[in-house]
Amino acid sequence: MSEPNPTLRLEQVTKRFGDFTAVDSVSLAVRPGRIFGLIGPNGAGKTTTIRMIVGITAPDEGRVELFGRRMSPELQNRIGYLPEERGLYKKMRVGDQLKFFAELKDFAGRAADEAADRWLERVRLTEWKRKKASELSKGMQQKVQFVAAVMHDPELLVLDEPFSGLDPVNVELLKEIVLGLRAEGKAIILSTHQMEVAEALCDDICLVNRSRVVLGGSLREVKSGFGRNSVALRCEGGDGVLADAALVASVVRHNDHVEALLAPGADAQELLRRLLSAGARVSRFELVEPSLNDIFIEKVGGAA
Amino acid sequence: MRKFLAVVRREYVQRVRSRMFLVVTLGGPVMFALFTVVPVLLAGIKAGGPTRVAVLDETGRLFERVRDSVDARRGDGDEEEEDRPDEAEAARRSTEQGARARLEQASKAAAQGYVFERVETEGRAAEELRAGLDERVRRDELDAYVVLPRDLLERGEAEYHARNLGDVFTRGQVRDAVVRAVRDARLDARGVSADVMRAVNRPVRLRATGAGGGEEDKGQGFFLVFGAGFVIYLTILLYGQTILGAVIEEKETRIAEILFSSIRPFALMSGKLIGVSLVALTQFAIWAAAVLGLGAYFAASGVAVSFPRVPAGVLAYVALFFLLGYFIYATIYALVGSMVTTAQEGGQLSMPIILLLVAGFYMAFPVIRSPNSPFAFWVSLVPFFAPITMLTRIVSQQPPFWQIALSLGIGFATVALLLWLASRVYRVGMLMYGKRATIPEVLRWVRQA
Repeated sequence: MSEPNPTLRLEQVTKRFGDFTAVDSVSLAVRPGRIFGLIGPNGAGKTTTIRMIVGITAPDEGRVELFGRRMSPELQNRIGYLPEERGLYKKMRVGDQLKFFAELKDFAGRAADEAADRWLERVRLTEWKRKKASELSKGMQQKVQFVAAVMHDPELLVLDEPFSGLDPVNVELLKEIVLGLRAEGKAIILSTHQMEVAEALCDDICLVNRSRVVLGGSLREVKSGFGRNSVALRCEGGDGVLADAALVASVVRHNDHVEALLAPGADAQELLRRLLSAGARVSRFELVEPSLNDIFIEKVGGAA
Repeated sequence: MRKFLAVVRREYVQRVRSRMFLVVTLGGPVMFALFTVVPVLLAGIKAGGPTRVAVLDETGRLFERVRDSVDARRGDGDEEEEDRPDEAEAARRSTEQGARARLEQASKAAAQGYVFERVETEGRAAEELRAGLDERVRRDELDAYVVLPRDLLERGEAEYHARNLGDVFTRGQVRDAVVRAVRDARLDARGVSADVMRAVNRPVRLRATGAGGGEEDKGQGFFLVFGAGFVIYLTILLYGQTILGAVIEEKETRIAEILFSSIRPFALMSGKLIGVSLVALTQFAIWAAAVLGLGAYFAASGVAVSFPRVPAGVLAYVALFFLLGYFIYATIYALVGSMVTTAQEGGQLSMPIILLLVAGFYMAFPVIRSPNSPFAFWVSLVPFFAPITMLTRIVSQQPPFWQIALSLGIGFATVALLLWLASRVYRVGMLMYGKRATIPEVLRWVRQA
């Protein structure tokens, strides 16, 4: 199977601030037409990694390659970046801001005007074009920032917490757009704390913790390689069985069911048999693969 | 380059379009007029009628002279003193004359309306008389009283008592009157006539021309330097904060991160500087056009308007050093802006900048006394002082060209260096929001970035 060349490749990238190593030998590859989830706890080095990708800082060691070339100011024009710390010029009109941000990507003239109009319509802000940013709600501002990141048609899109603070309708709207961009063959990096978002959107996952990559690969590989089973269970009675540490490693109680993580080497069938023989009435018994959330907590919590 | 221009355009258009620009452009001249005219008017107000001064003349022969001395001075002063200039004329006075004019104006106003009263001793003791005068001053029947002791002509000491010692104008008037009265009395005692006195006192006028001939120099050159220095000062006062704000804006609004993923810090920083400078230039152009227009209007309506005549070469230097001065201080503001996170912090840090500028003014005095001294040479090479000190040298005793060129070269190199430093500090500082940088941190950033 011939995979297309990665849009972005990081090779053994390291960045230090004084004595502190913020990013330690990180390698990763982002391919066109795929959404790459960069996840990890606060302070893991995600933002520093992203800043090296978009060319704000340079790595101390290693290489950042875009389209097979070493990162350079010229290549910045082909990246769209929505940082987590983002803002707009308060007193500037929405249309003017978009034009300005596009110019900074060497995208100007009629094409830029048309792109701005097209995108504003797509995020349903056309009638706000002549309004000042300070008159917009926070969610609207965020959509404007999103447009500023995508309107120059970048081949690599870096989105840091793009959905935080948006209402569900707008989350869906932006998700749809992001999926559309993936279909167009853009390479997309999505950094988020919302595991369900990452799980729903990402093709590839890279989990960083304490400056290092602790887990990487396609979402499918990551999940199947995680090698642990849990059971979604709804039953009456049989509490003693769940307390057996040889069988069940941990239990998470949800509203209408419990999630039992099997102990290493334990068999789900054995658990079911024990429950039934203990006289429990089982109304739900389902083998579930670990959620990204579980993996995150296991990997990060365990290391902490 | 295109990105740099985009930044310049944004800074310029956004600012020129703002309401604040309109307010300052229109309001500036009004404020200026207010600040020159209102103090004159205020100083001219003498509340509560004439100043009443009692004279306790123990010599018995000086009272008339003191009284007449105040009156006479009003009579034989120069003709300008006769007619009080109206407000319009006062407003048109140039700034360097403004302060002096205001003082003159106030003292003139004070000179009018003095009532001198002779205190009759009637054989009473001095203590008793003074107690009585003090009482009258307290009851507001008198504003002040003077005691002229019997041995005044020999010892030259008189007493002045007043309710309001802060009224320096009245005190000065009275002192002058007493001095003149005593001088005249002393001369009179030696048999010198009033005619001789007047002849002796006729003033001398000094006609100053440069060595080797040429036109008479009325000191325009020097005023030009101070004018240029003053305009630099004013510009920095007006626009320093704007530059500071422009640099901090992206930090406060959190746009910096987007910008730095698109443009190099140096291009961003210089774009901002140029953009704001063009705004300043626009504003000054509008003001200059207004002044010239007004001048033309007055000239057309027959009022004599004189613009200072200065050689074109000197004017070119004035323009160059003005630009240098402006950019030196503007980049210092940009550097301060790059270190801080909020405008308030920047405001506190910008005070020393103004002091640096004022120091340049003070250095102009020793420089103009000996323009070719080693001191003058060195301070005119220091970029922070060069705009004023080198200009002073140029108008007083033009130094060799290489010195001027060196001064300009060092100056503009410093501007570039400061700008480079600012953009570097800015970029690293941006990566850590919410915390002001300490100087060691800044130095580390500069090395790291």
